[in-house]
Formats: sequence, structure tokens, C-alpha cells
Amino acid sequence: MRRRQAFRPFATRGRRTIVGILATFALFSAMTVTVSIWATSGSQHRAAVLEVAARQRTLAERYVQEVLLARAGAQADPAQTGRLLARSADSLLNGGVAPAVDGDDDETPLPRADGGMVRAQLRQERRLVHDLTATGDAVLAGRPTTSIKLTADERLSVRDPVQRLRVLAALTSNVSLNAAHTIGAEDDRHITRLIVIELVLGAVGLLSSLLLAFGLIAATRRQTAHFRSLVTSSTDLVLVFGDGGCRYASESVAKMLGHTEEDLFGEGFARFVHEDDLPSLRAACAHGEPHEIVVRLANEFHEWRQLEAHVTDLRDDRQIRGIVLNARDVTERLRLEEELTHQAFHDGLTALPNRALFRDRLDHALARSQRSPEPLAVLLLDLDGFKQVNDSLGHDAGDQLLKKVATRLAEVIRPTDTLARFGGDEFAMLLEETAEPQAVAAASRLLRSLSEPIRIAGHDLALGGSIGIAAHAGGSAGSEELIRHADVAMYAAKEAGRGRYEVFRYEMARELGELLGLEHELRLGLQRGEFTLHYQPEIALDTAAMVGVEALLRWHSPTRGSVPPAEFIPIAEATGLIIPLGEFVVHEACAQTARWRLTADLPDGFVTWVNLSGKQLSTGGVSVLVREALAAVGLPPGFLGLEVTETALVQEGHAGERARADLQELHRLGVHIAVDDFGTGFSSLGQLRSFPVDMIKVDRSFVQGIEHDTKDAAITANLVSLAHALGLLAIAEGIESDGQLTSLRELGCDLAQGFLFARPAPPAEIDRLLAEHAAKDERREAAA
Amino acid sequence: MDLRHPLLALALVLLAFAGCGSSRRSTKSGQTVLRVTERDFQIKAPKRVQSGDVLLSVRNRGPDGHELIVVREQRFKLPLRRDGTTVDEDRLEPVIAGALEPGSPNSTRKLRLHLAPGRYVLFCNMSGHYLGGMHARLVVG
Repeated sequence: MRRRQAFRPFATRGRRTIVGILATFALFSAMTVTVSIWATSGSQHRAAVLEVAARQRTLAERYVQEVLLARAGAQADPAQTGRLLARSADSLLNGGVAPAVDGDDDETPLPRADGGMVRAQLRQERRLVHDLTATGDAVLAGRPTTSIKLTADERLSVRDPVQRLRVLAALTSNVSLNAAHTIGAEDDRHITRLIVIELVLGAVGLLSSLLLAFGLIAATRRQTAHFRSLVTSSTDLVLVFGDGGCRYASESVAKMLGHTEEDLFGEGFARFVHEDDLPSLRAACAHGEPHEIVVRLANEFHEWRQLEAHVTDLRDDRQIRGIVLNARDVTERLRLEEELTHQAFHDGLTALPNRALFRDRLDHALARSQRSPEPLAVLLLDLDGFKQVNDSLGHDAGDQLLKKVATRLAEVIRPTDTLARFGGDEFAMLLEETAEPQAVAAASRLLRSLSEPIRIAGHDLALGGSIGIAAHAGGSAGSEELIRHADVAMYAAKEAGRGRYEVFRYEMARELGELLGLEHELRLGLQRGEFTLHYQPEIALDTAAMVGVEALLRWHSPTRGSVPPAEFIPIAEATGLIIPLGEFVVHEACAQTARWRLTADLPDGFVTWVNLSGKQLSTGGVSVLVREALAAVGLPPGFLGLEVTETALVQEGHAGERARADLQELHRLGVHIAVDDFGTGFSSLGQLRSFPVDMIKVDRSFVQGIEHDTKDAAITANLVSLAHALGLLAIAEGIESDGQLTSLRELGCDLAQGFLFARPAPPAEIDRLLAEHAAKDERREAAA
Repeated sequence: MDLRHPLLALALVLLAFAGCGSSRRSTKSGQTVLRVTERDFQIKAPKRVQSGDVLLSVRNRGPDGHELIVVREQRFKLPLRRDGTTVDEDRLEPVIAGALEPGSPNSTRKLRLHLAPGRYVLFCNMSGHYLGGMHARLVVG
């Protein structure tokens, strides 16, 4: 089904209706004219019939006179008159040409008589003519007229031939006249019918035209109402300008600006327009150009509203005769665009320009520098120790710190310089018209400023920073290149011990290339499966039994060979690759332990320990990861242990809470938890008590001095005691000598691991060791 | 009623037909209606009628137009005009009981008369019609 249009354009509807009216007029006019022509033609025929019919009376009377004259011997031709009578009577009845009489008139074409009564009368006339002429012939021939057989049903009671002749002539005349009368009456009826038909046609035509005209008027009204409704209910503002200024304003002006329509009329409109926008508005109102303008208009609260107006020149339109501005309020849209633009080029936390805007400004500065060689410098600053603040005090504190640092840096540099935040704890500064010595001086001032304590979350924090300086003496240079140089210099400052600045030198670039290359290869290595796990046995000091292993990640790069974890783990943490690497370790350790359960004789309480990084914990998902890894290979949770750093365990904020919740959940599940490198962090003993921990790992730095350094021995002893006091196991790592082993045994340390027992080894080697330990156990049991 | 007698039944049927086909009947008011038929060239009318108010219902079957004049019959024939084709109505004026103007064919006209007992002639006085045979006699009793 065709969908009905909600509104048909007036142009189409109006044209159709007007065409309809004209067609109706034409149709009815044509019908009226046709009827009139037909009627006129009929009337002409009837007039001829009337004339001939009336003439019959004269002919009948003449016939009688001529018969009498002929009988008296006078010159007369009644036979001719009788023939005329008979032919005329026949023509009147059946149509044809009525003969001329004595040349007085022309032959008259006659139509066939129609109508029952007329034809009956004309038939009677013909019969009477026949009787009349037959009687006339008898009179002339001297024959008795009473013997003539009459055909018109007349019953003549007179016997006198002449009188019979006269009576028959009278009857003929009479019926002729009556026929003429009937034809005349028929003509009158025709005329009446014609008038009625024409009246009906006229009335129907008029009515149809009126209906169409009313329809057109109604459509016009609806259209007018429709457009009025569109204009008045539209949120857009419609303004019409003529010679005298504003001539029309739609009702929406009250809603949009709070003014009345009259406020805007005439030259009063200009009062509300921002003076900077007046020229373009006047140009638009004067010439209808340009087609799109944005003008600021004051609302009732004297706030500027930005109106985007479409200008249409309708001065040639007789209905408008003016310039029409169709305007809508785009203030909010423009504001939003500004905000979005600001967001796109600014850092959300510090409101400083971001990398994109910094690059843009640097591009412009370099362009100026190229035109009139002026030096400039790019400084990149990376905060030292920010990660620790973030980890220990939480991200909120970290954010506050970044804001304060931004404020402090801004105070040091000039207002004309550009300070940007590149993300994380990295800031960038563009110092224009600054040569290397001034840049170095600025870097010194920045470091001094940063070294002053900043109070965050109740702590006074003294931060350091590493600054890389890329100085540009002027001329051609690329912005990205300068930023990269500053970056290289910043890395150099970090390498050189942090809390300092370095000016870029080209030798640094090679070192930077090394680091970037390592990151790239690390990613490739992960994809290519170049990582493996080695396991270092953990020995129970009382029984010398192997009670567990610590899984240690190993990377054998096809280009670099074996890369020490100390080299790639920091890069993995910095780049986020630690997350997929950590997942690999958990899955692989679980899978290997499950295989050992099937193939080796694992001692009771055997645990495979896996190291979790702080970033892994703070990112979340550890609980899910471990449960999935266990479920994937069907390993009971008690076979798995997680080693977490003290820092990761005590970190504040949402990330810390999430990490502890994950560990609590896994601990409840049966997974063992150990605190790695215990004693090197800042956690309090009270916190330790509340954590889900099964074992404390005494850092190798204490174990290595246990034989000779009384402080290390004391710390180790206290750590072991502390573990036992909290009901935890203590394990010492990095045992390399028998002396260390003896000391640890004396201190009551529960477990130990180190080169003295076994180096980290691939799974096959652990298989062998497990078999060896199992054999020992069997021999020991046999001996017992 | 005993309708088994065949002669009695036949008589009743004939009477019924005679009543239906009669050109004379009475209205509720007691007025007698005479049905008169005119056609070229004769007049058909009942021969007798009771004196008093009479309504003539005159139907013209044409094809010519006809009038109807009712005159009390004289001892002599109806006088003709000098044209020899029409009755001289002026001379009949004292005895004219009533008249109808010419009527067109297929029309029916009414003529209300008060007829005293006597003999009457009904005729059409269109030119030649009386002599052409359009007259009838009516006896009013």
C-alpha cells in the first residue's frame, strides 16, 4: 500500500486543483455548447416541420377551390395541388424533401417524425389527404363520391360532393394544424428540457468548481498553518530583514534569547549583536551574502549566545521581499567543540598541553627558528621514585603529586615557555630563544625545585628527576628528532644515577637503540616462544628433602643468546610485557607440576613457587589467572605457591586492595603465599600479621653475610624468629656455602635454596633430582 | 346462496361483467359518471342516463384533438355555420348544457353537468368533425 504523504507541497496540490477547476469548467462548457447546438439543430428542424405542417391547411383549402374551379371549367390544376399535399404529408411522416409550393418557398428537407402522437396525427393526415384527393378526383370525374372508400375512419353524413370535399379538407386542415401544434408543444418541451439540462450542467459545474476551489482554499490554509506552525514552533530563529532593519522575528526568539519580537524590530536588532559581528551581519542583511554566518547575540542576561545563521536572499520573492536569516543557537555545540579540542590537546590530570600540542608548538617554534635562527631547547623530565609513591601511597596520591609537580615546574620556567605532560611521570618543556647554557641552568633550577619536599597524603616527599636536554642552535630540525634526543639524554641521566640532567650527545643514541631493540626482541620472543622456565629446588633443612621448586623465567634470544632476567624484567615491567610473561609463567609452572605429579614421585607438601610482579598484582586478574591455570591441568591448589614482593603486598589504594583480595581468595583456595625479599621494604610487622602469608623468604643479601657479619646474622635470626612467631615458615635463599647452611640450621630456618643444593635447572634435571631424592628417601626408610 | 343452478350463476357473471364494463357508474355523492370516449371520428357514450348531476369523463384517443359540446336536442338538425363544416354554436346557445375545450390526444377531461330529463346530443365541433361522424345521442330519464 502506498504510504500517504503527511503533507503535499502546495505547488503540486495547488496546480492540480486549478487544473481541475479549469478542466471542470471546460467540460461543462463543452457539454452545454453541445446540448445547445443539438437543441438548436432540433429546433431548426422542428421549425421547418411546423412550417410545412401549417402549409398543409392552405394546400387543402386551395385544393378544394381548384377542384371547384376546374369543375366549373376554369383553369386550375387540383391534381398538382393534391400531389403536393400527398408528398408533403408523406415527407412530414417519413422524412425527406417537402416540395416547394408555387415557387414561394424552397424545397424543405424534413426529418422523420418522431414521437408516437405526432406520427399518429401525421398518418391520419396522410389518410385524410388520400380521402380528400380521391373525393376531389370523383367530383372532377362526375362520379358519385359516396362510393369512395374512406380510409381515415370518417363517417360523413353529408351526401353533397362539394360539402363532402369541404368537410374532408377541414378534417385535413384540422389534423395538420393539430400535428403542428403537437410538434410545437414537443418543441417547447425540448426547450424546457434543454433549459433544465443546461441549468443542471451549470449547477453541477459550478458546484464542482466551488468544491475544488474550497478544497484549494482549505489546502492553502492548511499549508499556511503548517508553515506558520513550523516557523513558530521551531527552535530555530527566523528573522527577516528589509530596508528598515529587522522586519520579522519568529516566536522562538523569546525561548532562545529571552527578548520579545518587538525588541528586535527595526534597527533595535543591532543593539544585541556583538560589535565584532556587526559588519558581517550588515553585509548579510544588505546583500544576502555570505550564506552562512555565525553571530553573537546577547540574551536577556547579557550573555553572548552564538547563532549560526543561514542567509537566504528572498528580496525577489513577492511574498517575502527581504533577506531571511534562519538561525540556531550553537553556543553549546561550539563550547563542546572547544572542550573536545582542549581535551584532544591537553592532559586531563594537569591540564597541561599533551604530546600532540607540544609537538605542534615545537613545530611552530622550529619554523620560526628556521626563519630567524634563534636557539631553542627541549627538556624531558622523568620523576625519580614516582613509581614507589604510586605503589605505596596509591594512585590518588600519585595523581596529586603529578599536579603539584606540574605547578612547581610551571613556576620555574617562563610563562612563554611550553610545559607539557607526555603521560605517566614524564614532563616536557619547550624553551624558546634559549641556548644550551640557559637550558642547563633551567634544568638545574627544575631539579632544585623538585628536591624541595612536597606534602602528599600526610607524607613529605622529596622527589628527584632525570632531565634530558636537547638544545637546538637554530636552523632546520625536526620536532620528533629533538624530542627523541631529549629522551635519549633523559635515559642517560637515569643511567648516570638519576637526580641529574644530561645534554644530548650523539653517542647516547646508540645506547638508546640498544634498549629499544631489546624491547622489540622481547615482544618477538614472547610470540616465538623463546621463554622457558627453570626450576631451583628448595630443601627442607631438617630432612634435606626437596620440598619444592622456585620457577625462574629464562629467555634464550636467537640473536642475543641467554639474556639475564635482570636485563629484560625491568623492560618487561616498563612496557607492560610483564603481564603476558607472568601469565606464561603461571600456566607453564602449573602444567609442569601436573606432569611431575604423573611422572615423578613428588614428596609430600611439594610446592612449585611462582614469582608475581607488583604490576601483575595491581593490574588485577591474578585470581582468575591462577584458577584457570590450575583448572586447565587439574592441579590441586596446594601444589602451587605465589611469591610476592613486600611492596606489592602493602601498596595502598584500589590496586593494593585488589591485590590483597586476590591473594586472600587464592589463599583460601589452598594456594601458598610467600613474601619475597622480606626485610627490604617498608611494611610494618602489624600489616604482615593480617596478610594471607605462609612463608617468609629471607633476602639473599642477609644470608650471604650471615657467617661473617653479625648484623646480617642478627637480622636473619630475627626474621626467622619473626616468621615462627607468626606461625610462618622461613626460607633462606642464596645459600652457597656449608657455613651459611650450618648457621641457618642453628637459627632454625625451615627451608633453603641456593647453589649449594642446586642451580636453577630445566624440568628434565628436576626429574632426575626428584628421582634421586626419592631413592635417598627409600634407602633412608630401608635403613630405618 | 345456491350457486348450483347453472342459469343463476351465468346470470350473475354476466351482471358482473356488465357492471365492470359499463360506461356509467355512480360516485359516493350520488353523482353519475359517464365515460365518454372520443376518437377520429366518432364518440362513444352511454345511450341513457338518469337526470341530475352527471360527471362526464371524456377521454380523447386521438389521433386528432377533439372538443365536446353537450346540447339538448331540438326538433331540427343542428344548424351549421356558413362554412358548411362546423355547427353554429351561437344559435345553439340556449340549449348548450356544457362544453369542453379541445383536448389533446390521450388526455382525459371532466365535464360536470346537471342534466334535466330529455334528449341530448354530444358532438365535437372541430372543423368538419361533426359532419365527419363525431356525434352521439344521450337520453336523460
